[in-house]
Amino acid sequence: MAILVRLDEKLHERRMTLTELAARVDITVANLSILKTGKAKAIRFSTLEAICIALDCQPGDLLAHDPTLPTEE
Amino acid sequence: MTRTSAQALAVAQPVIRILVVVNITYAVLIGGLLVFSFLMDGWPWRALGFDMVHAHPWLPLGLRAIVVLGLIGAAIVHTILRRLLAIVDTVRVGDPFILENARRLEAIAWSVLALEGLRLVVAAIAAVVWEPGRIDAFSFAPWLAVLLLFVLAGVFAHGARMRADLEGTV
Repeated sequence: MAILVRLDEKLHERRMTLTELAARVDITVANLSILKTGKAKAIRFSTLEAICIALDCQPGDLLAHDPTLPTEE
Repeated sequence: MTRTSAQALAVAQPVIRILVVVNITYAVLIGGLLVFSFLMDGWPWRALGFDMVHAHPWLPLGLRAIVVLGLIGAAIVHTILRRLLAIVDTVRVGDPFILENARRLEAIAWSVLALEGLRLVVAAIAAVVWEPGRIDAFSFAPWLAVLLLFVLAGVFAHGARMRADLEGTV
């Protein structure tokens, strides 16, 4: 997957744990962990919006495209 | 899920298991009948109690052919029941929307089509050996069932793909 999820960096910046974020955005830690480790196939706009509000950031701060990585079928 | 379909699912597993046994019994019995037809002198006239060898000379051959087709039909019904049981089991486990079930439904559709084909062949044989020119075995319902099964298989495959997409969605 050529899409990178920079959730870890943002959490570090905001001094927030994954568990705290999970409680704020009302998503399970397991699902956020899937997102953080780049194993998610898709993200809902509602999830993205909730994370952006919780971390006070833009979607572009969380997602990036790396053309050097292989694309997924 | 509606109440009727929930009730149908609840009774499906024992009913299908009973049907598997009934179908195997049927196959064994008509298989026995086929073997017996070769062993008994004057079959089928002696068993029937009257001789119509001149009126229907092809009757013994036709009856044996129909029994062989019956055995093929029983084998096809067996595969349908096994696949149906596998589908019902996936519902009980809680994960029915998988591509394997779509493939099973499509295979069942082909099997029902084959059964209907066999039924027409049996009717044709019966017409030839008993009453030439008379075939009244055609019925719309099985062909509609085949169409319905193919449509359902397609819907299932689409649903399984959609669910696979959703699985990785956060």
